[in-house]
Amino acid sequence: MNDPQEDWEKVLWRRQSYPDNYVPPRLFLASLQRNPNFRPYSYWPLVILSCSITQHLAIIFIFLAVFVELKESTLDPRSLVCISVLLFLIGYATWSALGTQQENPDYFTNHLKTLKSSIMMFLALMSLSPVLRTLTAATSSDSIWALAAILFIINALLADYTATNPEDPHEGLSSVLSMNAAVSASVVLASRLPTNVSVFALMLFSIQLFALYPIFRHRLQTSTISLWLLITLGLSVLAVWLMAELSRTVMWLNFAVLTFTTLVAPAILIWGQRYKNIIRGPWDTAVPKVN
Amino acid sequence: MLSANLIRKGHKVIIITHSHRPDRVGIRWLLPGLKVYYIPFLPIASSATLPNFFTSLPYLRTILLREHIHLIHAHASLSSIGHEGILHSHLMGIRTVFTDHSLFGFDDAASILTNKLMVGTLKNVDAVICVSHTGRENMVLRGQLYERSEKDPKVPEVRKSVYVIPNALVAEQFKPRVQPPTDTITIVVISRLAYRKGIDLLVATAPKICSLFPNVNFVVGGDGPKLLELLQMREKYLLQDRMELLGPIRHKDVLSVLSRGSIFMNTSLTESFGIAILEAACAGLYVVSTRVGGVPEILPEDMISFAKPEEDDVIRAISEAVKIIQNGKHDPLQAHERIKTFYSWEEVATRTEKVYDTVLRSKQMGLMERIERTMDLGPFAGPIYTIILLVDCLFFLFLEWWIPREKLHYVDHHWNQQAFKKLADEDRRRCG
Repeated sequence: MNDPQEDWEKVLWRRQSYPDNYVPPRLFLASLQRNPNFRPYSYWPLVILSCSITQHLAIIFIFLAVFVELKESTLDPRSLVCISVLLFLIGYATWSALGTQQENPDYFTNHLKTLKSSIMMFLALMSLSPVLRTLTAATSSDSIWALAAILFIINALLADYTATNPEDPHEGLSSVLSMNAAVSASVVLASRLPTNVSVFALMLFSIQLFALYPIFRHRLQTSTISLWLLITLGLSVLAVWLMAELSRTVMWLNFAVLTFTTLVAPAILIWGQRYKNIIRGPWDTAVPKVN
Repeated sequence: MLSANLIRKGHKVIIITHSHRPDRVGIRWLLPGLKVYYIPFLPIASSATLPNFFTSLPYLRTILLREHIHLIHAHASLSSIGHEGILHSHLMGIRTVFTDHSLFGFDDAASILTNKLMVGTLKNVDAVICVSHTGRENMVLRGQLYERSEKDPKVPEVRKSVYVIPNALVAEQFKPRVQPPTDTITIVVISRLAYRKGIDLLVATAPKICSLFPNVNFVVGGDGPKLLELLQMREKYLLQDRMELLGPIRHKDVLSVLSRGSIFMNTSLTESFGIAILEAACAGLYVVSTRVGGVPEILPEDMISFAKPEEDDVIRAISEAVKIIQNGKHDPLQAHERIKTFYSWEEVATRTEKVYDTVLRSKQMGLMERIERTMDLGPFAGPIYTIILLVDCLFFLFLEWWIPREKLHYVDHHWNQQAFKKLADEDRRRCG
């Protein structure tokens, strides 16, 4: 019999001299592609990308530590309000400096709008504090802790960790749901606090962390790596330090979670890439291209 | 048609399937001498029954034993009763062959689950028949149909029991009808109007083709979820007089629809064989198709123009086809005669018969070998499938005790083709 490469053809209409179970040695699965768009990851770029997750988790831990301190009256709510306002001003100044709004003719108008909406939010939270404090009076604390835990898990899972251009209108459904989950968790936790001022302070702080900081983080992510790493480290250290004051066990757990997220998880992802096995071939459903 | 040709060759063939609403249940006879068992399992959706492993065993055991069956040929990887047939048949010493008619991917949840089920079933099947070479490649990967090479145990090689036997058609049913000469070129599309059939490409290209060629019209036959998009496109571009939507077409009316055109357009995004393309080519139409799946294997290059599944390339291929038709380079009668020589059910039956013969002569797997092969499925699926296999054995033993073989009402009188022919001839003579 002749060389299959010359003789055998991948056609059905011509009756060939080969048996029906003949497997052409070099032509069989010739069109198979394995991992066609494979892009191997490298460790340090992954660590830098994972910093956004680390920051988010650190923020949740910081918030929980602040809540416990407010509940046990070891933190003055007025000082927390001052810290929140100060952080907002620093954050807004940095956000403006990192941005490219200077070329915008409406630059000062935007500042005024921001100031106006900030004052509105401040006053709205202040007036709602008494309502929020008594919101879950009829609910047992166990239910509140469970609900808050679930909401924070949802917040962490649905948060938008992608690095995008600051110009992109970045408001995906998942990030909105994530923010809503975090604010809802803050509301139910705030309803366990003893005073209206404490509720106001915690809610203001939660708006800072879960509504404003993610926007700031997106802009920060596209800036210098050193600043990005510095803020990640700062937030992580702050989270661990605040937890250390409450419980050693929780502190170590917090430290383990943050270390795992930043340093171990990227290594696992790189290791897992070895087992990536995407099979492509002529049997795949084609993707139609229409203009 | 395969059954009819096997019966013609002197084999006994029965079909086992589920019941169909409203009253198709029990035993029916289809000519020529084909017995169909409709077992009482009601379909839940799209003519599919609930997937299960053991429910059919009492029915299958009784039918297979009383009909003296030697071999089961299961079709389609999503056929619940097909999988069950392969699982149960070994208990009765019945050999198994499996045929798949579709292509599946590897990366969506449905495919992953189906493929795992396939691997479990095909571990113990005696032979696999695929309808195209692409289908075989897909099936070998999906069903893990490879074994350690005898030369080098580290190198896997494809099982010897995987065959490629294409579908066929009855060419006489698709004789081209001689049309009066006309300047109008009609493009025929007969397809289920669904995403997988590339209707998005048809919707995108049809208006542009109509504007490029004022003498080109469309006839679209078929029904499905994309019908609305076609209707909207026709309204938007005011093509009511140039695009006819026929709705669902019965198989007996396919030829009359095909005969209205000179080009057959197929925009499928995946196709294992594409019998519609073959029918159209046999009816004398020039074919334009997307180059997907097993389609490039069906026809010679001079009978078909291929396009990438892209709007611009489909328009290019149609333009090419229009030129071929306008220049009289395509002869419908010659195309029909060529297809006649390429595909016939008689030849398919002969080739399938060889597979059956090879299977029946091969050594049968013992229970321990089946368990070993099933355990090879992996640490998770292996034990699950093995438990299913063992429970099946226990259920079978229970049935052997509960309905002993001696009590079964065996079929002694099989269909006699000669006697039937004799009676038919006498009847014809009597009627004059």
